[in-house]
Amino acid sequence: MTPAASLPMPAIERDTLATFKTPGRRYWLALLTAAGITALGTWTFAILMKRGLGITGLDEPVMWGGLIASFVAFIGISHSGTLVSAILYFTRSPLRSSVGRSAEAMTVIAIMTAGLYPLMHMGRTWFAFWLLPYWNQRQLWPNFHSPLIWDIFAVCCYMTISILFLYMGMLPDLALLAKRVKGWRRTLYRVMSLGFSNTDAEWNLFERAYPIFAAVAIPLAVSVHSVVSWDFAMTLVPGWHSTIFAPYFVAGAIFSGLAMAIILLAFLRKGYNLHAYLREAHFEILAKLLLAMSFVMTSVYLTELFMAHYRGSPTEVSIFTFRMFGHYALVYWVIILCNCVIPLLVLFRRFRRSIGWMVFVSVAVIIGMWFERFMFVVTSLSHNYEPYGWRFYMLSAKELTLCLAGFGFFALLFMVFAKLLPSISVSETMQAQHAAAHAGDEGAHG
Amino acid sequence: MAKTLLALYDNPDTASEALSSLGHRAVEGVRVVSPAAYPVVHQTGKPGPWRLMGFLAFAGGMLGLTTAIVLEAGSAAAHPVLHVGGKPDVAWPAFGVVMFELTMLGAGLTNFVSLIVLSWLSRRKIHRKAREAVTADRVAVVVPVGGKSDNDIAAIRSDLAGAFRVEVMP
Repeated sequence: MTPAASLPMPAIERDTLATFKTPGRRYWLALLTAAGITALGTWTFAILMKRGLGITGLDEPVMWGGLIASFVAFIGISHSGTLVSAILYFTRSPLRSSVGRSAEAMTVIAIMTAGLYPLMHMGRTWFAFWLLPYWNQRQLWPNFHSPLIWDIFAVCCYMTISILFLYMGMLPDLALLAKRVKGWRRTLYRVMSLGFSNTDAEWNLFERAYPIFAAVAIPLAVSVHSVVSWDFAMTLVPGWHSTIFAPYFVAGAIFSGLAMAIILLAFLRKGYNLHAYLREAHFEILAKLLLAMSFVMTSVYLTELFMAHYRGSPTEVSIFTFRMFGHYALVYWVIILCNCVIPLLVLFRRFRRSIGWMVFVSVAVIIGMWFERFMFVVTSLSHNYEPYGWRFYMLSAKELTLCLAGFGFFALLFMVFAKLLPSISVSETMQAQHAAAHAGDEGAHG
Repeated sequence: MAKTLLALYDNPDTASEALSSLGHRAVEGVRVVSPAAYPVVHQTGKPGPWRLMGFLAFAGGMLGLTTAIVLEAGSAAAHPVLHVGGKPDVAWPAFGVVMFELTMLGAGLTNFVSLIVLSWLSRRKIHRKAREAVTADRVAVVVPVGGKSDNDIAAIRSDLAGAFRVEVMP
């Protein structure tokens, strides 16, 4: 047997363990900033619960605003992680061992963040349990005909499956790392590994269970954003009532999810010194995917305009004209700039090979996609069928705080995750390196 | 008399070679503990109840589907809901989404629980010491030698020669 297959295994483990070391000043600064924004958001949420939705800018006919836009935006961000990880698993992509774990964590954290917004939007958050189907003395059940109830089920199922998908993938690593770490972390990893011991029988079970889970996760990921889109598309509101909404939402979700994945991976690479695992080539692949999704989004925007024009419905023409040239025109053109124009930088090798530029493009996409959700939620309601009901809606300062707090909460949880748990799959990386070493040997001998 | 030999390797390929040698000698019941799913893991005849996983996930999915049907149709029949768009109380197309979601949830949850339970049942057949000995840079090969003659054990030991440590376990 060739010695080339001898692996630098401890290096992988050592690098992963290095991410758990006492963080530096910059980490604490970033963590405190995120915690501060989250605390501000929590305080605002408390005010909202005390005073009600009156503290927001919501008023008839615009009863869905920034909070719902943030909900859709975070569901979108959550979309890519599990989906991309599962697809990379089935395609046996070498990208998966480096990117998969962080992407899955991103999904879980984003969907947890997204779940907060409907709770805020209820106003009377303490009655949230009324949405759940349970036997009660009032003999009231949720209306299963309503897309809003479908949404509850879709989001809850997706969150459960995403958490388990992330957790299942971590079991072998937790079992391994429990033997290396000390103190409370050792206890945590031992408990979390659920006794997984990396025996051959367990690997056989794992290798059968994991693809089943991935196969479950892919349709769920697609369904959750389709169902979110039906919250809008099943109504008769102009600009919402469209059959294109489900694929449009799914495409937008993949787009924003990829952008967030690039930002988080760049943060991990720089902050945790994972250059050997998160290589520039990986970012280049993600950049190309981002560009492809940007083209899809551009085509969707054009299709919407074309359909509105060709159908000849005055209401549809009116709403799209309003979006482009009305009160919210700035929002519309920011969307076009961020989602359609700035991503074109990826066409140039110089930009797509620069991680700094890719982070810039990704931040632009995240901003663009949040504005996009804001645009379609708000403009259709503020410019409905009846001109006498038209109203200009703008986020109140407290609403804006809640929207921004979501990003703070998301960043806070991700930083804690990356410090607490392995953000790169140790066992998969070792397996991939072993396979690559053998492939190299075969190439050399062949 | 020794019951089990535990051989520790720092290279999965050396462990793989040892397993091949043991295979030629027709030694049965050899098991591997490995930090990653290296090819050596698949050289022990795929032990464990892994074939059950698909059936269990399917059963879990069907349970989820049944739950959805009972929940939606049952609650609609027992307590008529608000009529939306003139749809009947029991409207199957409208119920399809929740049925799909709960089917997938049932399959996923069952799959996860099955993995945990079946892993617990299957790993107990390998000595705890062998499981504890494995780290990221170590692969363990466990060979049962109970009832074998001293000559056979010596031959097996020679097959395990590439190991950096061979221990005898009770």
